[in-house]
Amino acid sequence: MTRSITPDFSTFEVPMDTWSEPFWQAGARGETHMPRCLACGTFRWPAGPFCPECHTQPVEWVAAGQARLYSFTILPVRGAEPDAPPAWRIPALVEFDAAPGVRLVSVLVDADPAHVAIGDRVEVVWQPAASASVPLFRREDAE
Amino acid sequence: MARKPTAGPTAAIVGSGATPYYFRGESAPQTLIELIDKAVLAALADAGLGIEDVDGLAFFAFGFDTGMIIEQLGLRNVTFAHCVSAFGGGMAGMLDLAEMAVETGRARTVVCIGATQQIGRRVGQALGNFAASPDNVFHRLAGLQGPGQALALQARRHCHEFGTRREAFAEVVMASRAAAATRETAFRRKPVTLDEYMAAPMLADPMCKFDFCLETDGALAFVVTSAERARDLPHKPVYIAGAAQHGSRDWGRAFFWLGQTAEAFVSAGGMDVSRRLYERTGMGADDIDVACLYDHFSPLVVMQLEDFGFCARGEGGPFVESGAIRLGGRIPVNPHGGHLSEAYVVGMTHIREAVEQLRGVAVNQVSGARTALVTGGPAPTPMTAAILTNAL
Repeated sequence: MTRSITPDFSTFEVPMDTWSEPFWQAGARGETHMPRCLACGTFRWPAGPFCPECHTQPVEWVAAGQARLYSFTILPVRGAEPDAPPAWRIPALVEFDAAPGVRLVSVLVDADPAHVAIGDRVEVVWQPAASASVPLFRREDAE
Repeated sequence: MARKPTAGPTAAIVGSGATPYYFRGESAPQTLIELIDKAVLAALADAGLGIEDVDGLAFFAFGFDTGMIIEQLGLRNVTFAHCVSAFGGGMAGMLDLAEMAVETGRARTVVCIGATQQIGRRVGQALGNFAASPDNVFHRLAGLQGPGQALALQARRHCHEFGTRREAFAEVVMASRAAAATRETAFRRKPVTLDEYMAAPMLADPMCKFDFCLETDGALAFVVTSAERARDLPHKPVYIAGAAQHGSRDWGRAFFWLGQTAEAFVSAGGMDVSRRLYERTGMGADDIDVACLYDHFSPLVVMQLEDFGFCARGEGGPFVESGAIRLGGRIPVNPHGGHLSEAYVVGMTHIREAVEQLRGVAVNQVSGARTALVTGGPAPTPMTAAILTNAL
């Protein structure tokens, strides 16, 4: 199978609010941070105004750590030309070892669909888009 | 607090009405409100009642204009008009609202309405239809355009944790087609073989094209009134034994979120509402004769069978592969063909089938059926479900 596509995000706009903005600020530095409740330590995702456990508002943003595939799907991508070779887009959901309870969904790029498996280690790759850098996933294990 | 199971049903479905079902967009040039009005009038005629009897309306959050319905149907004395706040997950909760209205005297004759008309917008691409927001930006990066694509993540996880096979999803589809074969209202009546299923293109691996339900247009309506009054109306009453609604962060916004607890992620989100429904009715899975399960995607049928206690968590695959959900099996599921084979009107066709089964006039009648389970769709919380019965 051909490798999964890397979508073109050059015109992709990222809407932010006051709670999600630090995620994108860390991303601009190529770092993946997640919001942890200052009072009880519970991670919340998406970033939001209250801790669902203790209802405290402030968070600290901490490095999320190693990401692993929790699940994924493989979508056929229609090419512009009718006789274009088959292409695949892989939406992937990951968990982080230093941010329990958080699952982040994005696209797994440049992977062989036949060899992707739940539990695979992935790195978060920050790619420039229109108004911010966006997080994509890439498998760490050699294929 | 749970109602005492011994109290007996207080409300019943006495009328059922539907428009024909149409392929996506083909209900034009009729308008959505026209389809709704036709279904309401048909349901009232079926109940032997008139428009002047209607004083209650119940919906779920699927985009209807209540004021317009009241205006166009010429209703003049609506004392109850309420909406379950969930999308397809709230479908069966309409019956809860109707029962509440009748039981408390808020209204005497409640019409429950559900409809869809997919012109310009496809339910199957519902995630892509929303305006960009800080919360849905990640789904857009991922490329998750529709519920089926997002639910494929749960289906894969179920396969990973429990060894569920694609053969199980295939059996859900094949059972659905076998049921639809005899049903004139069904769009997909041709049987599907396991070979055909396995050869079909993947749309969202591990889900192939057969695992996705139809996208169709139509409207249905049901008339609910008190159990006492129901006995004087033309049809055998179909009592609402109980309905339940439940919301929990464990399931949350479901596929719009993907942050469910690990246990909920491999479920159809029905665990809590199932427990509450059985508590309210004093019934359990063994008491259900026919299950009308919201089957927008075949893996979600497998998971709902687990949620509602027909088999243990993780055993849904082998359970369906044993033939359990066929007519004559341990729990016949969707003898009308469901969303997968008959038509998709956001779960409403499942209530219609439950009514036909309990009136004893279903096309694929479950012999001696006394109880039917109807579930709302695995979708953002609150989740809802109901048990209907023809026995007091």
